[in-house]
Amino acid sequence: MTAAIDIRGVTKIYNPDSNQPVKALDNVSLTINDNEFFTLLGPSGCGKTTLLRLIAGFEQVSGGEIMLFDEEIENLEPNRRPVNTVFQHYALFPHMTVAENVGFGLERLKKPKDEIEATVERVLTLVKMMHLGDRRPNQLSGGQQQRVALARALAPSPKVLLLDEPLSALDLKLRQAMREELKQLQKETGITFVFVTHDQEEALAMSDRIAVMSEGEVQQIGGPTNIYEHPVNRFVADFIGDTNFLDGEIVNLNEDLVTCKIGSESMFEAENSGGHQIGDKVTLFLRPEKISLSRPDEASGSATRPGKVSNLIYLGNQAAYTVDMGDGIELTAQARPREDGRLPFAIGDSLAVEFSARALRVLAQ
Amino acid sequence: MSGWLPKSAAGRRWLGLAPSYFVIGVFMLVPMVIMGVFSFLEPNPYGGVKPVGSVAAYVKLFFEYDLEDNLVFNPGYLNIIFRSFQLSFGATLLCLIFGFPVAYYITLQPEHKRNFYIYLITIPFWTNLLIRTFAWIIILGRGGVIETPLLWAGIIEDSLRMMYTDGAIAIGLTYSYLPLMVLPIYASLEKLDFRLLEAASDLYANRLEVMTKVVIPLCKPGIIAGCILVFIPCLGAFIAPNLLGGGKKLMLGSLVQFQFASARNWPFGAALSMLLLAAVVIVLIFYARAAKNRAAIEGSA
Repeated sequence: MTAAIDIRGVTKIYNPDSNQPVKALDNVSLTINDNEFFTLLGPSGCGKTTLLRLIAGFEQVSGGEIMLFDEEIENLEPNRRPVNTVFQHYALFPHMTVAENVGFGLERLKKPKDEIEATVERVLTLVKMMHLGDRRPNQLSGGQQQRVALARALAPSPKVLLLDEPLSALDLKLRQAMREELKQLQKETGITFVFVTHDQEEALAMSDRIAVMSEGEVQQIGGPTNIYEHPVNRFVADFIGDTNFLDGEIVNLNEDLVTCKIGSESMFEAENSGGHQIGDKVTLFLRPEKISLSRPDEASGSATRPGKVSNLIYLGNQAAYTVDMGDGIELTAQARPREDGRLPFAIGDSLAVEFSARALRVLAQ
Repeated sequence: MSGWLPKSAAGRRWLGLAPSYFVIGVFMLVPMVIMGVFSFLEPNPYGGVKPVGSVAAYVKLFFEYDLEDNLVFNPGYLNIIFRSFQLSFGATLLCLIFGFPVAYYITLQPEHKRNFYIYLITIPFWTNLLIRTFAWIIILGRGGVIETPLLWAGIIEDSLRMMYTDGAIAIGLTYSYLPLMVLPIYASLEKLDFRLLEAASDLYANRLEVMTKVVIPLCKPGIIAGCILVFIPCLGAFIAPNLLGGGKKLMLGSLVQFQFASARNWPFGAALSMLLLAAVVIVLIFYARAAKNRAAIEGSA
């Protein structure tokens, strides 16, 4: 597989000469493959946008190098890099029509006029905006501006398309629709997409691979399932999805399982991911959807634990229950409403709580 | 609600605006009407006007009486008017060339510095224009700041004769009105979304194209406002033409001043003023039209 972008030990320090230098990126290395939908995911201030701006050329690296298809691009001005950006707030030119906006890049590249016209038409059709080519950006809705911004960045056929939280300003329904469209567009055009977002759901839904970032460092790189099911540390497990964390100590282990003591006397078994020793302080994590709840009299297996509903949050298609397991342990679990729409359990109900040891994983402290 | 206030909203609005209507009426409209009336009267040789109606002042703009008392076309005053437009245009262009980069530079500074630089731009207004223009005589004049070192160093052998030329007037005008160009351009550049510049360079625009395709079109209102603020007072200027042009290279403003002060032909001075007013109104109508078209194109639908 060809590497579209190869980031090698990149460090970025803002205001290096002032008395308050800010380290935005710390020795970041990652490879983005050709024809890949790659997402940089992290909370605000984690350096994901900085990394994108370094690739686009709006900022200069403080150390390390960035290769674009095996070419060193660090010394190129933004207008000489074959990458285009979809900006967070679109940054459409207000004094130009939609068609002029989309044709801007091609005109700067001195393409022939008829080719520009044909490309503008093709790209606007691609984003379903053909009928609005004569409008000005301020006559468009947020979603339409978004499409124009996308068309404008795609028109010059960049080698890599950079997207800086392009969906963050849209409302929920539109955002969900655009997710599918973006994914589709990436497949159709075959252009490498580098997508920046703080929305983990968005990242999981669209990406081929995700780099989770925090405080200027890459925490984990992997496919959506890999990141969700096998987070390498507590930050990743916590940032992606909802999670129960159980802090404890390993008291016993064999090839398959480790046994941990949580709280003062509760024992939990978890998958042995290797490299653990008796006496290690560890954190177990357990996704809420892997816990099944039932009434004590309906409980199926023998491996259930008793619990009591201490709180619930109704979410429509499901309810999130906080279950008091005793010994100071609380777990969050989910249950679907029954067919008549009523919730299966109420606050104060006694429960049988069941989960498999394979659903519990050990995180390094 | 007090009983003496007008009942209707419209009435109250009128009452609120009354002070400004009063000021504009008394201090602008009345003097202008007086000038308009004076331009249609006969001059009093001792100054002022005689209350006798006449269009002689307007005839004098274009014609003169030859020795046999025939009216013949006299391009003299029209030439002065044409020169005024030329010099004003030149000065406006110079202001734009020097003013735009200054405004752009200030916009790029951090906020606290920006305010300081704008404050510096306004400092010349603290001193009287007459005195500041005199300073240019010292700079440009014979044995002045520019000539003396050049003569001393042997680079030139004779005076450069910079004073009393069109160039000297243009420099004086540019100097006088440069801040009026910088301030409106700065005001519109300050509102510019600098992310658009990044977007342009991301889309393969080089530095020049970022300027010509994005920055300048977007701050056109500021550029036009600056040009008007410089061009109009230049047309009526008389200090720079009198001091730096030696009063021989007349401009419209100095001609008007001359009619009222030395020539004692008030009606002719008033007629010239009316002509100047008409020229300014025409320029402003063009501006208003351009602004209206732009609003129609860019207005939110």
